[in-house]
Amino acid sequence: MSAVAPAMRHRRDATTALVLGALLFGAAFVLSDAAWRRLPHPRPLEELAYYPSGQHLRPATLGHSETAADLAWLRAVQYYGEHRITDNRFERMEHVFEILTSLSPHFVPAYVFGGFALAQEGGNFPAAERLMLKGIEANPHSGWLSFELGFLYYVRPGGRELKRAAQYFELASYQPDAPPQARRFAAFARQNSGNLAVSFELWREVLKTSRNPFLRETAVREMRQIAQAIEAGRTTTGGRPLGVPQVLLTPR
Amino acid sequence: MIPVPTDPPPHDVTSDAPRDLAVHTRGLSKHYRHPWTLRVTTGLADLDLDIRRGEVFGYLGPNGAGKTTTIKLLLGLLRPSGGAGWLFGEPIGTEASRRRVGFLPEQPYFYDSLTGPEYLEYAGRLSGLDGREARKRAAHWLGRVGLGARRRLPLRKYSKGMLQRVGLAASLIHDPELLILDEPMSGLDPFGRRDVRELILEQKQRGVTVMLSSHILPDVEMLCDRVGVVLGGTLRRTATVNELVASQQQRVEVRCVGAPLVTIPARWHGTIDRFELPEGTTFVLSDENDVNDVLAWLIGAGATLRAVTPQRASLEDFFLSVAESQGVDGRDRRSA
Amino acid sequence: MNAVLIARNTFREAARDRLLIAALGAGAALLSATQMLAPLALGEGLRLTVDLGLSGITFIGLALVLLVGTSMVGKEIDKRTIYNLLSRPVSRRSYLVGKWAGLAAALWIVALAMGAALVLLLLTRGQAGHIPSVIQAVYLAGLELSVVTAVAVLFSAVSTPALSALYTIGLFLVGQWSYDLREFAARFPSGIRTMCEMLAALAPNLPVFNIRTLAADGTVAPALHLVIATVYAAAYCAGALALATAALETRDFK
Repeated sequence: MSAVAPAMRHRRDATTALVLGALLFGAAFVLSDAAWRRLPHPRPLEELAYYPSGQHLRPATLGHSETAADLAWLRAVQYYGEHRITDNRFERMEHVFEILTSLSPHFVPAYVFGGFALAQEGGNFPAAERLMLKGIEANPHSGWLSFELGFLYYVRPGGRELKRAAQYFELASYQPDAPPQARRFAAFARQNSGNLAVSFELWREVLKTSRNPFLRETAVREMRQIAQAIEAGRTTTGGRPLGVPQVLLTPR
Repeated sequence: MIPVPTDPPPHDVTSDAPRDLAVHTRGLSKHYRHPWTLRVTTGLADLDLDIRRGEVFGYLGPNGAGKTTTIKLLLGLLRPSGGAGWLFGEPIGTEASRRRVGFLPEQPYFYDSLTGPEYLEYAGRLSGLDGREARKRAAHWLGRVGLGARRRLPLRKYSKGMLQRVGLAASLIHDPELLILDEPMSGLDPFGRRDVRELILEQKQRGVTVMLSSHILPDVEMLCDRVGVVLGGTLRRTATVNELVASQQQRVEVRCVGAPLVTIPARWHGTIDRFELPEGTTFVLSDENDVNDVLAWLIGAGATLRAVTPQRASLEDFFLSVAESQGVDGRDRRSA
Repeated sequence: MNAVLIARNTFREAARDRLLIAALGAGAALLSATQMLAPLALGEGLRLTVDLGLSGITFIGLALVLLVGTSMVGKEIDKRTIYNLLSRPVSRRSYLVGKWAGLAAALWIVALAMGAALVLLLLTRGQAGHIPSVIQAVYLAGLELSVVTAVAVLFSAVSTPALSALYTIGLFLVGQWSYDLREFAARFPSGIRTMCEMLAALAPNLPVFNIRTLAADGTVAPALHLVIATVYAAAYCAGALALATAALETRDFK
């Protein structure tokens, strides 16, 4: 055998391995793409749904519960966004926000967003109420939370709870971080007027101050409905928020 | 292996420690007990060793004999099972005992990412030099061991021989009074070995004590004043090289031509070896006292003498004879 | 003095082995990722950045400790570079303290660099009010990493690199859960309860270094908290290194 042959053999082996590697990776690439298109995707919140509660999840975060809450927040936002434009069903919402707020009890925006989402789109006012009360218990000096709970009671679809709304607006007004109109809204609610104009103001407050684009969208929608109702001489806007196509309300 | 727990060395030993000796040990031992079988293996047994200041002491033995164990005990890298030792009067295992010592381990390893000058400066500073002095000496010694041109090369790119040279430089950078070299020639080519021999002789002339552990006997023979032979964990004998060699019989080699058919007389059977070579016949006499009679016989038989050469007995001969007499075949005793 | 020399060399090795660069790169990548995710966070982008940034310091630091710290002593023994040090007038104690200090310094560099990046982000977003609490959280994260490093050095002195890594992770987990362990122990009869409480007390009290919840809200921790955490970290590190010294003093380097 000549001295050249071993070198050529090595080069040939290397080339064969390279070609084989490229072909196999190519096949994997195609399969991956096909899997993405054909097979069911894991839902983003599947994993969270299996945890019994946020308290049990806490130890697993190894002291980084705030970060875990943030990651859960991202997933929750994604979940909300997806279902809002498809079927408007938010079955896992309560559970997810329970976990989120157990991981990060002082994450006030999570209570607010969760409360609104559950009350408005989710059609589950009791769950919203539970969440907000949990938030107030963990953050007793949060004027913002008290104000938002008052707000939810005031605009509650299917029947305002004016007494409770007044209570929480008033509570909010004593806290340093409350919106300045808290006392004014407390007065409106105590007057028992159920005034659409007051509701309009409340939603305008949300539009002005919220950093949450979803909440601002909701506020715009509600303000539009209220304006239409006022124009038509009505005193309420109806049970469910308008704008959700009926066809999407059919069960799966 | 787990070390056998021991009694600590006796207190107040410094009063027994002569300061004119560079190395002084009494009953220094190291035993290992196997953790499962509890069998005890002896690494070193009852070493009584004295090395005087300024001498070059060769420490001989086959692999696993206890040479490296001795060195590590002296340097505190191993804790003794029994006995005691001192370096310049300081008990072994203390920082003070290592202050005046330079050590070159067998197969030295260094920090891969450092360059030669960086490592030498680090070594010098750890041995008590200040930063500027350490840098200066690092540059000097790097040049002295022939690596001055490769200053920026990281140690991971050094060849085995280069690492050996750096190790040697590191052992000398702080001007030690005792140099302990474990197989200093290993990995070196003939030029490298010559350089190391010169370095050792240079240190000897400066009055530095050198303890040289090796199994390359010609080097030891050339450099050492005294030699100790360790076999099976025990120091068998110490003496000067001349004493050791003189105790061996001298051989004589006689080369001649024209004697292919002569038969060696019976009286010399077993004491004369015969080699037929193209250029003639060579007779090796194991007893130099037979020279005259053998020459007379060869001349009488008609051979033409070409050369008569005395062969000085070597340390190797001595070493092998000691080993055979002690029933040691030199195989590595170290178990897994 | 020898400990300082060894610390400097250990730091230099970590830097030259590009571990430091990799850690800083990972931190930069993490912070960049937070900026890309921020728009998805419905106005909570800054909170996301601070939380992920602070968590990143801990986890990147922990990765470095597991990669380097747990094999530090064992590797030097295997490669026999330890002969070069301990054959000189260097005590085993100085050696261990130096190794710990060098790696801890590298980890502090990572923590401070990421902390500085977070402060810069807060300034550019007009959230300077959060800066004091973030600085506190970074300081405590640095202390936490120093403690974990000391634990890793201890295990590295008594065990192989692989086992050291496992023991270090184990003690890290027990430390993180030490408060849960104490609460859990309360449900048991006194013998087991005492054992659990002792285990919780012996493990490093890592929750004391965790003010990430406060930092997320921009709330500043009281100075006493920082003092207690600092003293605790110093005591725990010194204790771990003392135990490591005890282990190494009787060790033979064959």
